[in-house]
Amino acid sequence: MTVLGVLRRSGPALIGGAVVGVWLACALFAPLLAPYDPLKSYSPLISPGGLSPDGMRFWLGTDLLGRDILSRLIHGARTVVVWAGLATLSAYVVGLAAGLLAGFYRGWVDTVLSFVANTVLSFPVLVLYIVIIVSIGASAANIVIAVTFASAPAIFRIVRALTIDLRSRDFVAAAITQGESDWRIMLVEILPNASGPLVVDVCLRLGYTAITIGVLGFLGLGLPPPTPDWGGMINDGRAMAIAFPHLVVFPCIAISSLMLGLSLLADGLREIANAGPGGGEG
Amino acid sequence: MSGLKLGRLRSMLGGALHPAVRPLAEQATRGEIGRREFLRTAAFLGVTAASAKAFIGDLGLVGEAAAQGAPKQGGTLRFACSVMEMKDPALVTWAEPSNLYRNSLEFLAEVDADNVTQPYLAEGWKPSDDLKTWTFKLRPGVKWSNGDDFTVEDVEFNFKRWQAPDSKSPNKTSFAMVTKFEKLSDLEFRLTLDRAVLAIPEMLYAYTCPILHRKFDEMGSDWIKNPIGTGPFQMTEYKVSSIAKFKRRDGYWGKPAFLDEIQYIDLGTDIAAHVAALAAGQVDVLYRVTIAEIELVEKLPNVRLLRGKAAQTVVMRMQVDQKPFDDIRVRQAVCLAADNQKMLELAYRNRGVVGENHHVAPFQPEYFKLPPLKRDVAKAKALLAEAGYKDGIDLELVVGNTQGKWEQDASQVLQQALAEAGIRLKLNVMPAAQYWPIWDKVPFGVTFWAHRPLAVMTLDLAYRSGASWNESHFSDKNFDAALDKAMGIVNPRERSQAMEQVEKILQDSCVIVQPFWADKFAAVSAKVNNHRPHPADYFRMDRVWMT
Amino acid sequence: MKRYIAIKLGEMILVMLAVSFIVHVALELNVGDVAAKVLGQFSTAAQRQVWLKENGYLDPFLVRYFRWLGHFIVGDWGQSLRFRTEVISLIGPRLAATGILAAATLLVTVPIALLLGIAAGVREGSLLDRGITVFSVLTTSIPEFASAVFLSAVFVFWLGLLPGASTMTAGFSPAELVLPVMVLSLYTAGYLARMTRSSMIEAMASPYVRTAMMKGASLPRIVFRHALRNALIAPITVIMLQIPWLLSGVIVVEVFFAYKGFGTLLFEAALNSDIYLIEACAMVGVVVVVVTQLISDMLYTWLNPRISFRDVGRREGGA
Repeated sequence: MTVLGVLRRSGPALIGGAVVGVWLACALFAPLLAPYDPLKSYSPLISPGGLSPDGMRFWLGTDLLGRDILSRLIHGARTVVVWAGLATLSAYVVGLAAGLLAGFYRGWVDTVLSFVANTVLSFPVLVLYIVIIVSIGASAANIVIAVTFASAPAIFRIVRALTIDLRSRDFVAAAITQGESDWRIMLVEILPNASGPLVVDVCLRLGYTAITIGVLGFLGLGLPPPTPDWGGMINDGRAMAIAFPHLVVFPCIAISSLMLGLSLLADGLREIANAGPGGGEG
Repeated sequence: MSGLKLGRLRSMLGGALHPAVRPLAEQATRGEIGRREFLRTAAFLGVTAASAKAFIGDLGLVGEAAAQGAPKQGGTLRFACSVMEMKDPALVTWAEPSNLYRNSLEFLAEVDADNVTQPYLAEGWKPSDDLKTWTFKLRPGVKWSNGDDFTVEDVEFNFKRWQAPDSKSPNKTSFAMVTKFEKLSDLEFRLTLDRAVLAIPEMLYAYTCPILHRKFDEMGSDWIKNPIGTGPFQMTEYKVSSIAKFKRRDGYWGKPAFLDEIQYIDLGTDIAAHVAALAAGQVDVLYRVTIAEIELVEKLPNVRLLRGKAAQTVVMRMQVDQKPFDDIRVRQAVCLAADNQKMLELAYRNRGVVGENHHVAPFQPEYFKLPPLKRDVAKAKALLAEAGYKDGIDLELVVGNTQGKWEQDASQVLQQALAEAGIRLKLNVMPAAQYWPIWDKVPFGVTFWAHRPLAVMTLDLAYRSGASWNESHFSDKNFDAALDKAMGIVNPRERSQAMEQVEKILQDSCVIVQPFWADKFAAVSAKVNNHRPHPADYFRMDRVWMT
Repeated sequence: MKRYIAIKLGEMILVMLAVSFIVHVALELNVGDVAAKVLGQFSTAAQRQVWLKENGYLDPFLVRYFRWLGHFIVGDWGQSLRFRTEVISLIGPRLAATGILAAATLLVTVPIALLLGIAAGVREGSLLDRGITVFSVLTTSIPEFASAVFLSAVFVFWLGLLPGASTMTAGFSPAELVLPVMVLSLYTAGYLARMTRSSMIEAMASPYVRTAMMKGASLPRIVFRHALRNALIAPITVIMLQIPWLLSGVIVVEVFFAYKGFGTLLFEAALNSDIYLIEACAMVGVVVVVVTQLISDMLYTWLNPRISFRDVGRREGGA
């Protein structure tokens, strides 16, 4: 089923897809779309739509250091898409591999991997992030490591459960008797059939990761400045939210809309998967 | 000289006035030094505060009116402050706990909100001409809250404790030059130093220097369990990270305090919550408001924003023995490309005084005005090319935001300014708790330096060869000699002259980019009177009153 | 069932051992900084070294780990570096404070969420359903740190109705609980309502409800007698699984409102690499997670007798 096909069949998915699409476009074409340099100081604390002393207009105003908020939001989309994307991807690589192995072989592999996953999962997630970031320092790469560490076990559980289920199906048994290699079975027979629920999970997880990056920015443990980062922007401006609401309102809208878009998309995909002819598992 | 009413001035220890008093009085009469400078130096030279004030009053140099109507007795004040562990006051690591015990424990000398040194538990002191022996006279009639008399034995106990071989107090380092403590009488003692030190009374007001009872260690070395003090209040409740209460006590040696009770309420680490608590009337005093909340506080009804000057600053310091900063041309390029004015404007919204990369503030007594610094990006580029970095250079600056986000903001402005000269600055921002353990280890870092009453105190700690907190590893014999010379001069005007050399060497060596001197802000509810921001955040609460 | 609980508890102890070891390893990276934190940034290197030696930090890693473990088991949880007091005396009150916050949040959230979820799920696709769905999707899309900023802007600064900090230093104060609970509920309620809605829709479509409908039973009767019990299984087990989430979700809210709970304690401990405090918090965290899982599993079987404990072991909780 094509992406467009999916979108046409569900209203919420269409809206969600559109919102996500807008932010993706912002991320891709940030330098073209942003009216100003997101890192450059122009004139501090201009209200939305206001003019700087030398006649430049700032549609969403400027921040404390005089940087254009619109440009920072657009470039912030890139930050979120790149780092939340990378973090989710890396968590998936680990979670998928471990989940397939555990679900396919069971036995001691499963026992060990499940124990590791349980260990990580019984630790409050945010604490895990904070402990990791504090010990290895706040940088984009370390955030990816932290997210991978914390999210992979949850992905592992889902993949493992799906694999156990699929492994008992006839087509897998057939493949085994045909003497196909284990890796081929896992990647060609099992994985594509598990992709329905996983696609939904990817959408949700991308949203959580975006929020996590935001929370870390909010707690002062996020991406190092001056990287435009929505959570960091909210944290920077919140002390003055009363005097200058535009400092926080726009980044809040940005992060909430992305979250909204992703969760609508996930809902729509789930609906289609449940209703559609090809989408077996719910 | 006609009209010089020297006869007004009295020596604290009795006897003749210090020889430097006369030229000082002449300078004040001619208007060459201000009221504060006169009072400060007079106190330092052992002139009683009352007589010095009378002298200055005759000259018509009156200070800003402090009175806001007649003070009212009574009331409970709620002070937002983290309530930290302080079993051993000589070991506290922050000013916050000291503001709690400051209500009960007192110091030998006090540096007040005007940055003027005043007698406290010591009624007076007198340095020798070479500044190597200091004689202190204690105030008679002071009693501990348990009824014991306060004597020189209490002071001796504290000095021994600070200097003990196993002492973990920073006082061990700061008073390492005291070689002998001599008891002269029940109320007099003499310190012998191995080098000239100008600022002994000021150093005795550091937050680790409250005078504890002589039996402190016998009673279990735990001030929370035995909160005995000489001060105007008595601690009645104490819960770490929650609340501490102090009640006014009878039998205090000085004027009784106005307030009945002070409550210190721990509002956690997030300053936005502090402002919210003040706005909602949950606390009366925020002793520190950072620049990020200023506009908000200004808009709050029934809240007063207080502002004060302080010699507090951040320095972006480079370790002169680390690559690439061992090449002075790199450091020069950084200093030339930096835009101190812009950092002040953007990161501190112009509420301060621009810095001159030599760590002496215009409002410190020994300041000497050097020609203003000029930004020169082209020259910075040329110097970089000369040093072998034709295509620019990559540097990393470590930022701990120990005082608030404005440190990071200033660094971002620096980043933009340096980019113009081809210096690609990467910021490594970490939480303050992560930063402090490495503050003096990173090659290029932003360090906050708190207020010191005299600039030479900071310079002696931070830039002298081998000094214990010399974070930049700067070492220059000429600088040390010039600093020694300045530190041996009592008269502020002459000392200021000698500072020209000191400031110039430091500035020319390009060890620090010092963007600005940051003003201090506090916010109080409209009910609170006579609370003033203190440049070092040391608050005495006995003169504060509520309407 | 006893066997199941015993296995779960055994697993918990293994997990605790593993977690405590990992935390020790993670914090080992900065162990030298501990003395600087305790003695202050202006202490000398020699003073720091002496302190490290006196407090056993110079011993080999494994020695320190097992010493800690030994002490921990007998109830000596060590001294907090940040607060410089017994860890064990810190944890109790903080956990209780967060417990109050979590209980208040659930008390507000659960009835609202169940009501909204049921109302939406009974008539799928109705205007009410759409309205509720939009509301719940919106609230779950606003991160807590954003809603905290807005709610405090409105209720503290603008309207002046509520206290801005929730320190509870003057004793328990319900007014100070309002904002943190509001922020937490906003997110949780939306999530739970969506959950309830979808299981309600499922229940309404089940054969026995259809049969009841055909028999002409009234809608309230159908809902309360037939659909509800089955529809509540998922939400109730989710509520239990929300408790560990609340434990970490409260960090942002507690820090923002200066609430003296477990979240702020953990946050400060983590920022200060306060090793014994982090360890103790982690251990408490593991216990809370495992116990709530256990209760959730038991509730699940109790509500749905068709499932035995053997199946429960296989059912994987969502993440």
